[in-house]
Amino acid sequence: MALNNFPMRKQVLAVSINIECMQKTRRSMMLWLLALPLLIGIGVPDAHGVEPIKIGLVSEITGANAEAGSYTINGTKLAIDMINKNGGVLGRPLELVIEDNQSTNPGTVLAFSKLGGDKTIVAIIGPIRSTQVQAASPAIAKAGIPVMIGGTDPSLTKVNNPWLFRCRPNDSFSSRVLADFGVNNLKLKKWAIVHSTDTFGSGGKKALEDELKALGVTPVLVQGYTNNSQDFTPVVLAIKKSGAEVIGSYMTNSTDLGILAKQLRQLGVSATWIGSATITTDTAIKLAGDALHGTYGIADFSADANDTAKSFAAAYRARYKLEPDVYSGWAYDATHVIAQAITASKSTRAEDIRKGILGLRNFKGVEGNFNFDESGDGLSGYNVLRNDKGKLVFMKHIEFKRRNASSQASDHLFKEHAQLPS
Amino acid sequence: MIVGAGLDLTNNLQVLFQGLALGSIYALVALGFVLIIRAANVVNFAQGDFAMVGAYLMVAALGALMPYWLAFIIAILAMGAFGWLFNIAVYYPLRHRSFLPVLISTLGASIFLQNLVLAIAGAQPRPLPKLLDFDGVLVAGVFLDSQYLAILGCTAICVLFQYFLFEHTLLGKQLQATSQDKDMARLLGIPVALLIALTFIYSAALGGLAGILVAPILFVSIGMGSIIALKAFAATIVGGFGDVKGAIVGGLLIGIVESFAAFHISVPYKDAYAFLMLFFILIFRPQGLFGEKISEKA
Repeated sequence: MALNNFPMRKQVLAVSINIECMQKTRRSMMLWLLALPLLIGIGVPDAHGVEPIKIGLVSEITGANAEAGSYTINGTKLAIDMINKNGGVLGRPLELVIEDNQSTNPGTVLAFSKLGGDKTIVAIIGPIRSTQVQAASPAIAKAGIPVMIGGTDPSLTKVNNPWLFRCRPNDSFSSRVLADFGVNNLKLKKWAIVHSTDTFGSGGKKALEDELKALGVTPVLVQGYTNNSQDFTPVVLAIKKSGAEVIGSYMTNSTDLGILAKQLRQLGVSATWIGSATITTDTAIKLAGDALHGTYGIADFSADANDTAKSFAAAYRARYKLEPDVYSGWAYDATHVIAQAITASKSTRAEDIRKGILGLRNFKGVEGNFNFDESGDGLSGYNVLRNDKGKLVFMKHIEFKRRNASSQASDHLFKEHAQLPS
Repeated sequence: MIVGAGLDLTNNLQVLFQGLALGSIYALVALGFVLIIRAANVVNFAQGDFAMVGAYLMVAALGALMPYWLAFIIAILAMGAFGWLFNIAVYYPLRHRSFLPVLISTLGASIFLQNLVLAIAGAQPRPLPKLLDFDGVLVAGVFLDSQYLAILGCTAICVLFQYFLFEHTLLGKQLQATSQDKDMARLLGIPVALLIALTFIYSAALGGLAGILVAPILFVSIGMGSIIALKAFAATIVGGFGDVKGAIVGGLLIGIVESFAAFHISVPYKDAYAFLMLFFILIFRPQGLFGEKISEKA
């Protein structure tokens, strides 16, 4: 019996060793599991023991506008790295979560639903396209966190959505500058309006018509077109027929603008052209070449408009070897606005950030000084630029007082900040 | 009034010229559609992306500081090679399956190609210099863009070449036999798989050519192909599904109709006219202008 017992004890020993081994493996596995999030870096304190503040970005990574989307990401990353280098916000670093919207409206709604579902994200930088903002507005209201938008259709911030904050001046300002510059500075009275039929283009057209009317001008032609038109001959011929001296345009795509510019020249139209911001984009200038020389652009972004813009432009050129533009500039501003609002309110709660944004006074950005009104509009100034042989020349910045802040007559609504010889 | 009428005639001629030129681009892409429909009995949804890839290859070749003519030849040859690759990767593995899996496969290839080019070349649209060295000529008040002239010329050459190839060479006859009845062709000793590969090579080169020709006007961008392909597909149906003559006539017709309708009726609805035409053709002549009525045999 005793002899028999021996191997059994050995067996028991072996089993207990086995269990011990397994327990060891389990323990180390548990340790690894605990370490896993650390390795991936999600949701746990970083190396300095501080949890980052997450900011979402819904942008166009794929699809028709992927080019613009890449600039937006550049601008945002530049701002975030700059903020983090200076110690972050409330002592915590900012972390960017990017979601692609495929350059489409359904893609935008989906992206917002996804980011809105992540409760660790405190604010989102949204799209620059009005039509995408319009589509996602209900999803944004549902998410209930501040969303910076770049779409300039004036109606976007008038839908009782308290979470939309526009970090660009809206088109009621751009059309006012466009109309005023053409009618009063260039003294041109026969207007043709060319506009895309999308949300941005139709909104701009309506605003421009209203502003021209206020100056006593009825356009001789209002001509819409759909995005990605391959041929603008009918548009050009209509302008020619109308005898317009000046073209005011709200065009969405730089490729469309390039095609129109070339065909205008080929078919012998010599009218002065004052365009909305698209005419001042790097892409449009490269594509159209000399066909855009001598045109004017009304843009919220100009690399030479102010000191913040100048230092942003220098940093952007140094890092990306690209010309800065509105796509990168507005996102850079939007990031800083969020950071500043969190700093000011000392909180990352949505309601507090909202109050922080509304409380900003004369916050200096690339696109101008931010003062948000109750509807969420942050800027009210525009730059007039001229294409001088392919180089954009900054002519002047025109800053409006808000209509709700001033009851003066409309023709005294703006004062000019800087005036360069034109 | 007479001056007005004169101006109107000039304007109408201008519109006709633009319509013809854009129509021939649709026709070129539609030809590519038709050839593949006939050879492989499948609609190639990546046909428009062939144009896009061709234009980007041209940009890359010019970027390597080649002279224009050499870049042109290299881009077309590369498109041929690309067509062969496309045949192997997208069509060949599914050749024994029905219409649908192949169609989905080409759709997938289209999305893949767009994103591949986006990843390699970046998203910024690029300009491409014109084929000819002058901007255009003014004839009786009508501006003839040199690139549009080049498009018309190249399309005419391609159509003639194709006619000669299909009707007057052994290869062409074999291609026709393959498209009509693969099994019979195989029994007669025609290398069917090789001929289908050849068709893909030729269609890709044709699509690439269309892209290179249209790029100086529409610029080189990721989405350039899909805009053209949609109209070209409409042209294929208008002309008669799978009919070479029909593709050319359908393409030109769509180009001219949309140009005139945009000029005389309304610009924003320009894209609608092509598809309105498609509606009427499908209702009143479902087999297309040149198509033959196919009835199911018992």
